Parts: sequence; C-alpha cells; structure tokens
Amino acid sequence: MALSWRFWFLAPMVMALATVVLFPTVYLFWMSTQHWLVTDPQRFFVGTDNFQRLLAGADFWQALRVTAAYLVLSTVIMLGLGLGMALTFARAGRGWMRAIVVMPLVIPPVVAGFTWRFLLNGEIGFLGAWLLPAIGLELNPLAEPRAALVSVVIADVWSRTPFMFLILLAALQSIPRDFYEAARMDGANPFHEFFFITLPLLKGALFVAILFRIVDAINTFELIYVMTRGGPGRATQILSIFGWRTAFQELDFGQAAALGVVLLFICLAGAMLLFRRFVQRDLEAGA
Amino acid sequence: MKASTRLLTAAAFAIALPTAASAQTEINIVAFAPGFAWADMFGPSGTDKTDKLRAFEEATGITVNIEFADEETARQKVLLDLVNQTGTYDLVMLGSDGAVQTFSYAGYLEPLDDLLSTATEYFDPEAVYPQFLEANRVDGKLWALPYYSFGAGVIYRKDIFERYGIAEFPETTEALAGALDTIKAGLEKDGITDVYPLTMRGAPGEEPSLDLSGFVYAYAGYPAWFEGGATTPEEIRANDARPIFTGEFREGFEAFVEWSREYGPPGIATHTWVDMMNLYGAGQAVVLMPSAINGFAALGGTENTDVAEHTAFAPSPAGPSGLPVQSFWTFSVGVSAFSDNKEAAYKTLAFLTGEQAMQGFAETIGWPYSTFPAITRGEVLGEKWPAEMLDQIEASYEQADPHYFPYIPELNAFMERIGTAASEAISGSKTVDEALAELQAWAEERMERAGYYE
Repeated sequence: MALSWRFWFLAPMVMALATVVLFPTVYLFWMSTQHWLVTDPQRFFVGTDNFQRLLAGADFWQALRVTAAYLVLSTVIMLGLGLGMALTFARAGRGWMRAIVVMPLVIPPVVAGFTWRFLLNGEIGFLGAWLLPAIGLELNPLAEPRAALVSVVIADVWSRTPFMFLILLAALQSIPRDFYEAARMDGANPFHEFFFITLPLLKGALFVAILFRIVDAINTFELIYVMTRGGPGRATQILSIFGWRTAFQELDFGQAAALGVVLLFICLAGAMLLFRRFVQRDLEAGA
Repeated sequence: MKASTRLLTAAAFAIALPTAASAQTEINIVAFAPGFAWADMFGPSGTDKTDKLRAFEEATGITVNIEFADEETARQKVLLDLVNQTGTYDLVMLGSDGAVQTFSYAGYLEPLDDLLSTATEYFDPEAVYPQFLEANRVDGKLWALPYYSFGAGVIYRKDIFERYGIAEFPETTEALAGALDTIKAGLEKDGITDVYPLTMRGAPGEEPSLDLSGFVYAYAGYPAWFEGGATTPEEIRANDARPIFTGEFREGFEAFVEWSREYGPPGIATHTWVDMMNLYGAGQAVVLMPSAINGFAALGGTENTDVAEHTAFAPSPAGPSGLPVQSFWTFSVGVSAFSDNKEAAYKTLAFLTGEQAMQGFAETIGWPYSTFPAITRGEVLGEKWPAEMLDQIEASYEQADPHYFPYIPELNAFMERIGTAASEAISGSKTVDEALAELQAWAEERMERAGYYE
C-alpha cells in the first residue's frame, strides 16, 4: 500500500518521459510503415516496404560503409589520443593546460566545421592550398573522396577528443594511488602498472566513453554538412546525412523514418555489445 | 487596491490586449537572406520595419511579420509547415527549381490566378517579363510570384581573355572550350597556379542541377530527361516516357563534368554558389557561368581592383543544338493553402513582389536583374550598368525556356540526385557512365513507384 502512493510521485516524470521519448519513438515506428511522400498526397500503410527498399538500395549500404569507416577511424584515434593525454595530464598537467586541451569541446560543431573547411580549402585554405603543397602533398583534402573522409575524421577528432579525455582523466584520478605503490613494492614496472592496474580499472569509463562516441559518431551531422555536405558525391555521406537527404531533399518521409528505426537498432546493438564486453562480465564476476 | 481587484484588472488587460491587436490582420512570412531580400522593407538586419512597410500596413490594416533563416533552414521550415498543414506561415518562400512544382502538385499552395486582379495597384502581371511568371506556372496555373530572379549569362575577365589573344567572348560552347584551353595553357605557361579558367558549382545535392540542366538543354536541344522531351506528368503518362539519363541526357552531363574537371578549381566537386562567388571575387577565376548572377554578387563585395575593373558580361554560349546554355531561376513567394487570410496574404505578396518592391531591390542591391522591364530600363540600373549589358540581360530572358527541366512533382528529388551524380563524376569517385547508370536506375524505380507507368 505504502509503495503504491509513493509510485504516484514518479508519475510526472514517467509522463514527461513518455511524452518526450516514447511518443516520438512510437511515431517514428508508425511513420516507417507509411507510404509518405510529400509529392504524393496519398498516405497509406505499406508494412515493411520502406525497410525493404532501404535495404535493397545501394545508397544505404554505401552510407553504412562510410559511417563504419568514419566511426572506427575516429574512435580509434580519439581513444588513443584521449587516453594518452589523460595519462599525461593525470601526472603533470596544470589547470590552464587542461583548459586549452578542452577548448575545442566548447566550440559548436558548425563553427568547427567552417573553420576546418576554410583551413582545408584547396584554393584558399592555409592547410589545403599552402601547407600541404609546400610539403609535396598535391591533393585537395575536401574534393578527393578518400581525402575528404580523412578530413572530416580529423576535424571530428579535433572537436571531440577532449570529451574522451575528460572522461578518462576523471576515471584515472579516481584510481587509488595505493594500488600503484603496492604494485611497485612487488616489483611492477610502468608497463605492468598500465596493463594490470590502470586499464582494468578504466573499463567502466572506457565503456561509457566508447558508448557515447558511437552514438555521437552515428548522429554527427553539422560538422560533415558544413564541411562537405556528404560529398564529394557521396564520399562522406554517413547515415545521418543520408537520412536528412532522404527526408528533406527527396521528400520521402517514410523511408527516412525507416532509416531512423534502423539507426536506433544499430545504436542499441552497439550499446548491448559494449555492455556485455565491458560491464556484464565484471558484474557477473563480482556476483 | 485589493488583491482580487488587481487580479481582475490584470485579467481584463490580458483579454483586451490581444483583442486590440487582432484588429490588424497578421501575415507571417518565412524567407532567407536578411538585409538582401526586402532590405528596403525590413532594413539591413531584417528585423526593422521601414516607413515604406509601415505605410503599407497602415493603408491595408495588415501587419507583416517576417522570419528570416538561412536558406536551408528556411526551406525546411516551409516544408514542415506545409506538410503539417499548420498555416503558421501565410506566405512561403519557394524556388522555381523544385519547390513550386512539388508543393503545387501536392496541393499545399493556393493558385493565384483568381487573386491577381485583387491587388493590381501593387502587382501588375502585365508589367512583368512573362518568363518569370511562366517559371511559376504549373499545370496551367500560377502558384507564386517572382522576387529576385535571373537568367543565364557569363561573367568573365576581359583583361585575361585579351592577354591570351581572345578579343571576343565565344558564342558557342565549342568555341568557349577552345578559349578555355588557350587560357589554361597561358596561365600554366605564365606560372600562375592559383587562377582557374572556369568556376561552376559541383557540390553534392541540388546545387549543380540548375546549371547542369542548362547544359543538357543546350546539348540535346530540349529538356532531355524523359523520352520525347516530356516535361509534365500528363505527357509522361500519355507517352509512357521513360527516363533517358543514360541516353540523350548524357552529352550535356558529360560536358558539364568534363569542363568542371578540366578547367575548374581543384575543389569544384564540393563548391556551392558561395564558393563560385568567392573565387571569382578573389580574382581566382576567369569565367563564371552560366548563373552569371553569382558573378554580380562577387562584384558587390570584391576588393580586387582587377576584378572590379575588368569584368564583362556575355550572353550564355549556344550548345551544339544551337540553343543557349540555360540557368533560369526565380526566388518566388507563394500563398500557403492553409493560410486563414489568403486575400490579405496575396495583397502582401503583391506588395512584396510588385514594381515598388523591385525598385527598392534595385536601389539597395543594384544587381542588373529585375522582373520588371521598367526597372531594367529605369534610372537606377541605367546609371550603374552599361546599356549594352542590360540589353543582353534582357535578351537572356527572351531566350530563356523556364521549363528547361521537367515540371513534375518529383523535381526536388531529381534535382538532388542529378547534382549528387555530377559531384561524384567530377570528383572521380564514379565515371560518368557509372554515375548516370545509377541515376537511371533510381529514376526508373522512383517513377514506377509514383505510378507513372501503370
């Protein structure tokens, strides 16, 4: 009885969540089952037709490949840089140095995108038109398909590594120093300390950092839109840009919603995979 | 005063204020380019109301509210407002290269033919270049009125042409290709590596499609998208006309791609009209075509004296068919079918696109393009631009075929796909044949799905 009246205190939050999370999600699922073309006033139920067309089209698989390449490349570099910086700053970093490192994080992706676009521009950019040719690299970073993908990865790494750095730095600083002192007394070298103390104790933070990174990468839009609009051609067209194109340029809301559902499942699958790899095993071991 | 009395007074004010305000009819507009569009009405920031606008509001009892956003955001606001049928915006900004066609066929716009006679004091359809109205006519009905609009042409550096021995601007695409070869060789010989013979736009998406369709038209001699040159849903259905992107569309497409690759700047596969404009304004491009308007935009802001002093205009060259390369577009405004005040909305539209408004555009922006012959021939533009140039610009309207691409509901999607295919081919990620084969397959599927061939 006491539990039931307490439950009602949660009701506003449950209702708020249902409104802002559940309703749009259900609506997205509903849209994905509709023939909903702006060019056609008829709107009707088509079952899984939007999904079938989506998966049968070359565009989806191309965008998926680009997304995977973008995700893996940027995550690996970010993880390496973020961890390296966190290890350095955990020992020797000063406050103002940390502030400088974190600065790109507070710059909006649109501004970051414009900055990198101008830097890498092959006709007037400092990097694209001057520095790269000066060191013998005759390529246009934003107009050549592979170079364009690398360019957006570089811009993303510059913009988002500080987030990874902050998570890992906080986790590093929460590891008790006693562990290292005890290990040293047992003859452990820095290599042992890193692999047998630091890394295992960073697992939870790494899980959070990678999970956020996956969701962030899949949802990246402004940075790529501003830098390349998904181009040249479709070379940097990741799934979010493809979805925007499908909805707002090709005016196919049904198929764009189907893509939204697929993205939702990709994110969920990634999260579950990471959860099992990093967290569940530890929980089971602890139990 | 007691608390209850204060409460009642406040409530009475709360009720009375909106009632007083509603004596004026409110018309809401969404558009882009503040300080450029209707600068004479909303000021350089886009947030003011000038005396001109206030006089209109007082005379008509209409309050005009404008909401400016960047171009892409404005387009999306229009789309979502119309699709959701909210009627939040009474007047919506449209382009004649997709939005007018798509939204009129979908029933989201109000036909204007019957309204034209209701505000002739502001907008006289007889006084406008007919091509600009024709561009907004779909299925025989007029759906929007043109504001800032342009025809095809070339902006080029006369001094560089002369330096390499070319006295006159070529009149055909074949001769122009030869001239561009000469300029390219000359620039290379002189060791000039940061000036490119040509600038066009090749960014993925709809951006290149307007100009590219102009190449296709000039090479094929007709809008070669569907068999037999069908340009309306009725013609496509009646003739069972299939897409011909791997057929007669190819020659113009290939020319556009080859010219971009051969004579354009290295980043052209990602260039928008802004990049075209900046490059020309910085003195890094010799020819800008076929949307010469972007060259005039560059002239307005350039600090490069060579560009300012040695720029000339030439008519768009004719393709192998004998027809000129097209680039014809109107920034149009239409009345939402879901507006509660359609007549007031039309009156406002007539005011915002009428001769007075275009005169204001000529005075504030000063580009040599106008929708009214009286303004092209007027004092303001006459003092600023050579008469010969204004004659040529006027001639470009007469030579324009506003329907140089099909007027079908799916136009937006086609423009998007064609532009992206061009960007792929220019960047080299696909060959011309690969890009067109993919475009053809998509077009066939899209038209089948839309029920054209049942």
